Amino acid sequence: MHQIMDKLSRAMAVLGGLVLSSLIVLTCLSVAGRMLNTLLHGSVGALAPEFSQWLLDLGVGPILGDFELVEAGVAFAIFAFLPYCQVRAGHASVDIVTNFFPPSANRFLQMITETVFAIALILIAWKLYDGMQSKMRYGETTFLLQFPIWWSYAASLFAAVFAALAGIYMALVRIMEFFLRRDVLQTGAGAEL
Amino acid sequence: MTALEIGIASFPALMILIFLRVPIGLAMFVVGLVGVAVVTGRPNMALIRLKSETYTTFSSYSLSIVPMFLLMGHFATLGGMSTALFKAAEGFLGHKRGGVAMASVGACAGFGAICGSSLATAATMGRVALPEMKRYGYAGGFSTATLAAGGTLGILIPPSVVLVIYAILTEQNIAKLFIAAFIPGILAALGYVLAISIYVRINPEAAGTRPPVPMPERFRALLDVWPVLLVFGLVVGGIYRGWFTPTEGAAVGAFGTGLIAFLNGGLNWSTLLESFMVTARSTAMVFFIILGAAFYNGFLALTQVPQELSEFVVSQGFSPWFVLTLILIFYLIFGCLMDSLSMILLTIPIFFPVISTLDFGMSPEHVAIWFGILVLIVVEVGLITPPVGMNLFIINTMDSKTPIIETYKAVVYFVASDLVRVVILVLFPIITLFLVPA
Repeated sequence: MHQIMDKLSRAMAVLGGLVLSSLIVLTCLSVAGRMLNTLLHGSVGALAPEFSQWLLDLGVGPILGDFELVEAGVAFAIFAFLPYCQVRAGHASVDIVTNFFPPSANRFLQMITETVFAIALILIAWKLYDGMQSKMRYGETTFLLQFPIWWSYAASLFAAVFAALAGIYMALVRIMEFFLRRDVLQTGAGAEL
Repeated sequence: MTALEIGIASFPALMILIFLRVPIGLAMFVVGLVGVAVVTGRPNMALIRLKSETYTTFSSYSLSIVPMFLLMGHFATLGGMSTALFKAAEGFLGHKRGGVAMASVGACAGFGAICGSSLATAATMGRVALPEMKRYGYAGGFSTATLAAGGTLGILIPPSVVLVIYAILTEQNIAKLFIAAFIPGILAALGYVLAISIYVRINPEAAGTRPPVPMPERFRALLDVWPVLLVFGLVVGGIYRGWFTPTEGAAVGAFGTGLIAFLNGGLNWSTLLESFMVTARSTAMVFFIILGAAFYNGFLALTQVPQELSEFVVSQGFSPWFVLTLILIFYLIFGCLMDSLSMILLTIPIFFPVISTLDFGMSPEHVAIWFGILVLIVVEVGLITPPVGMNLFIINTMDSKTPIIETYKAVVYFVASDLVRVVILVLFPIITLFLVPA
């Protein structure tokens, strides 16, 4: 079971990473296009007007609506990163007080915490679905590219469902640990900045 | 209970949850959600906010800078830039007494210029510098303390993830904050070098010596640092000069660093996947805290706590400097317990309105920038303050032979250097604001 969840969360993280990388490349292309465009209209344009016009006609310039794609893509990437963080218990927390508690008390706290976390992630996914439906109903589109906003919601929802699944899985693990009175899953320290 | 009372009562509730090891983002999320439900008397209100708020928080164009910088920091590690930086610094400083430690601080500062996070800097430089310090007979606690302190340069020297968050929270210009952090960052590195030279004067047995490196070799090592300078210049310079937005700068930086790592042979399919994993974990952690903070701060605004607090402070007629000192001491204490990002997201919406109503004889923008740099430094001091500073534990686990108490003994010198610097920066705001354009 753990292997399946681990593989799934890693796959989602890779997917998110690939989307993030594409956004990076897209943004760089847009920056390069904009700078070239400025040059072609400016000093290069004065030196070689026909060549410059030819390039400009080809469409050298910033990518239209690049930031709309960044916004939609990065939301998906972050939702896709959540399951991995969840399964690896990577969320920042403070353990100086609980270090003094006996293991059974800690297992109890972990069980409650992860259950609440799972509920929160389910709520987030469920409400995201509601949000998507209202975007669909009103047919909202983005300003420049005019693509329906609900598409981005749908992509995020897809990843958010996996985050909720990862949350439920971790809650089950912690519940099991509490009742079996032993650690089932070894997780490292939380991630940090 | 009035809304204001509920708002005030939410602090102890939140603190109890956090100290019971509830993840900080989750604690803020839950208290914020429950708080809105209690204050408005309509549980549905809280849920309705969830419909769009999670998506809008995660799809923020300005916040997309965060995963890009995190990925860039990992690419920088893969590109061998940490080794190049250390070799260059060590060539010039290594033969001095305590020189290898000074070189580690210098290399941390250099790595901080392409990496926006403290722990990544400390961990990356630790892998390179700890074995070298050991080789030249440096005491274990001295070495770990040096790296824990050096790591804080990663967040102070731009680009800095935490400064990005501060800028967004307080609606300040990211480029100006980056520039403002520059001189304090250099001062921090110099202060640490000074702390090292004092430490080895008092404890001469803590550091070995080694013969100087010949001059031509030093300059050859220095040449290898060019990728770092290029990326730093392009990203921070480009944002500063307005060539591109901060997000575009982060994208250019991540792409450039990735390209260098690829050309150096450090980036291949399997290390790329590894970078995705590291980035995924930190990004998800950061954004869940941001999400929690958005809900908690939305709730606080509803209860009027920030407005009432700043009105109270103003009506008491306290000296602005007194209030500032109190806030900085608060950060120093809590910085020991919590990571800097959570601290800033949790407290800036409360303290910033207070600070902005006080008269320090500067423009509001300058006060905001200066305050941000001060807070960032003080919170980072907390990270290396014994006995609970988190960076100390993290670095200490990298060197299993050194008991944490040895790290504590040595890090005191660095903390002292930090505190002196904070006092100087408080007394002379011009040091921070010197490079900031009006």
